[in-house]
Amino acid sequence: MPTDLLPDERALRYGRRERALAAMADADLDVLVLGRPANVRYVAGAPLLWNAGPRGFSPSGVLVRVTGEVHLLSTWDEGVPEEITHDHLYGLTWDPMNLVAALQRINESAAPQRVGTDALSPLFAKLLPLAFPGAEVVDGEPALRAARRTKTAEEITAISGAIGIAETALAAAIAELRPGITERELTGVFMDSMASHGITTPATQDIARITSRPRSGRDERVQTGDLVVFDAGVVAGGYTGEVGRTWVAGTRGHGAAARELFRRCHDLSARLVDACTVGASADALFGAYASAGEAVPAIPVARGMGLGLDDPLVVRDLPATAAATTLEAGAVLAVTASVTDPAVGTITGQDVVVVTAAGPELLTNSPWWDE
Amino acid sequence: MTTTDTTPTVDGMDAPTTPDVVRMQSDRNARLRGGMAAQGVDALVLLATGNVTYATGATWPLADAGRANVERPVAVVVAGDDQAHLFTPFRDAGASPAERGIGLDDDHLHGPVYLDFDEGVEAFAEVLAGLLPANAVVAVDDVTAAMHRSRSLLFAEWPPRAAGDVMGPARLVKTPDELAVMRHGLWIAEQAMADVQLHLEPGMHQTDLTARFLHRAFELGADANILDPIWQVMPDRRGDLPWTVNGDIACPLLTTERELAAGDVLWVDTSMLYGGFHTDFGRTWIVGGEPSARQQAQYEQWRAINDAALAVLRAGATGAELTAAARSVTNVETPWMAHFYLAHGMGLDSAEAPFIGSDLGDAFDASLVLEAGTIVVLEPVVWDEGHSGYRSENVYVVTDDGSRDLTDYPYDPYGN
Repeated sequence: MPTDLLPDERALRYGRRERALAAMADADLDVLVLGRPANVRYVAGAPLLWNAGPRGFSPSGVLVRVTGEVHLLSTWDEGVPEEITHDHLYGLTWDPMNLVAALQRINESAAPQRVGTDALSPLFAKLLPLAFPGAEVVDGEPALRAARRTKTAEEITAISGAIGIAETALAAAIAELRPGITERELTGVFMDSMASHGITTPATQDIARITSRPRSGRDERVQTGDLVVFDAGVVAGGYTGEVGRTWVAGTRGHGAAARELFRRCHDLSARLVDACTVGASADALFGAYASAGEAVPAIPVARGMGLGLDDPLVVRDLPATAAATTLEAGAVLAVTASVTDPAVGTITGQDVVVVTAAGPELLTNSPWWDE
Repeated sequence: MTTTDTTPTVDGMDAPTTPDVVRMQSDRNARLRGGMAAQGVDALVLLATGNVTYATGATWPLADAGRANVERPVAVVVAGDDQAHLFTPFRDAGASPAERGIGLDDDHLHGPVYLDFDEGVEAFAEVLAGLLPANAVVAVDDVTAAMHRSRSLLFAEWPPRAAGDVMGPARLVKTPDELAVMRHGLWIAEQAMADVQLHLEPGMHQTDLTARFLHRAFELGADANILDPIWQVMPDRRGDLPWTVNGDIACPLLTTERELAAGDVLWVDTSMLYGGFHTDFGRTWIVGGEPSARQQAQYEQWRAINDAALAVLRAGATGAELTAAARSVTNVETPWMAHFYLAHGMGLDSAEAPFIGSDLGDAFDASLVLEAGTIVVLEPVVWDEGHSGYRSENVYVVTDDGSRDLTDYPYDPYGN
């Protein structure tokens, strides 16, 4: 991490913008009005202030197809790429009509027929037609999803960097795992290590959970023999890097049943990684569970990694979505193996895989628990 | 739970030091149902974190927006039902009680919905249809792209009603139990910041301060970090900061591995999550040193501005009274950042209504009348061109007879 706040590398931001513009052309969109932080980062290439949690819709970045230009909600130019000139910045405001005015200026120069948005709110559903009176306001999100689904080489490098920090901080938390420590304290150790390595923004803040017995909450103290699931992630340079492992606290209290559960989790994990091949249906990840003889859990079994979360989200509750999704070369997936034995607990492992023509390529490298 | 000096009173009631969360949720439920009736809304569909927490009592450790936008709890409030429905990924046996909401029966606790996907919206629409009467007036706070695509499945009219019309007034005034939760969150944040300040010395990196803050905050009971902590080194001159659209000082700027030097003036700003509530902390620190006479004078002026605003802060005061009081100390300059405000509210969001001194304008401030139980975070700024400046934030609750300070943190190294 540099000591000056810099925009994303030129190759990264132009590569992404090119994909976004191509997706706009395919979807016949003249202007994209974006509110999701990851979408804004994707087209603008500027680091923005990080806040936890979902973000409600507000026009925070605008991409114009005919010129390829980006307009950005930013009161200052620090970290803003040189190609986004001062007259393309509009400042923080508490009056939505000021945002409408900024969009009206874009409307005058771009004269769009079709304006896509990545989300909406009741207020902006009313205001966007005022800003773009001659245009049809349509759903622009599939275009962005299509652009973001597969990664450029520079993006995969960025994701690897984020994973490296997540793995380092995960190892720091695991090193502190001992009877008496709480889940919350383990999260604190993870955050400390992450920030000490230059990254101050987590992808998840629920780092450690005891799964071998009922827990009262995050102040639950670890006991000898507890299974603790670590779900670790950081956001570095805008990119998410995640890794998950399960550890046994202390040196006693586990036995053949826990070892058997770990064996099942390893086996499932290998099957999930192998299922990440070009042209496969995302259904194949459910298939990996079936072939291992494991029940598909409620949590997502695969998440697309990128700027934030990308397609696909493969989860039990969205079977048709998975069936309709084909894995493409350049997709990056975090695959989650989760196995449960009611007498022992739940063991979860999460690894990140790049789908390539030569087969799945593993980006994570964290050790598994081994007595 | 730690107590501080004075107990705030709201509508004549003392704020307890230990919250009764069941009573807190029951008060929230009553306000929401009252607001829905007044607005003619039959159902609320809530996606925003603060709104879901308000309606259900559920809190959870917030992830980055990437995951949080897609795997998020959603609440549905139906008129005539005294409990909200919670759709959440945190429902399994392993979920914390906090994640399962307060006082929700099992038939109001549902598995997750995925409103970023057509298939998820269709499934949700089916459940919703079973919960609502035909032609119900539905208000919503946020609309995903997939909800926009399938809007005819969800909404009888487009655009739908804004849930903010109900949520905003309900959330504006805090109950005594809510204040008790907030006070403990503020205490956690202040303890963690005290630890950071104690260890502050030249040669540390900005990111080292974040590391210590996050570690300590979680140890003390924080549920999540809310804001990438700010430790901005303020130069002497405005021109040494990045260019801004409004000509004002650029702040807050993001944290890097920048090494701190003796004498650096740091504007710090942090926010974390506790019990669903956000905290706010703002102070000016000097790295490894004491303020000069000039810097001390900046602080004294800041105190005078803060005190002037505080002197008029009470139930019934208008926002314009506060801005006028703050301006009266400096005569000409507006002593706060042009892209922010003199004061903002705080609660289940870090910066929420009321906004005072923002670009909504003087007429808006004049129309804004403060009520007892409203949180007002004062954040005046003194900029002394050529000599940097001073900024701090304090959290106040408006009370029947004035206000109470919920911030309990010294102004070291400038004063106590």
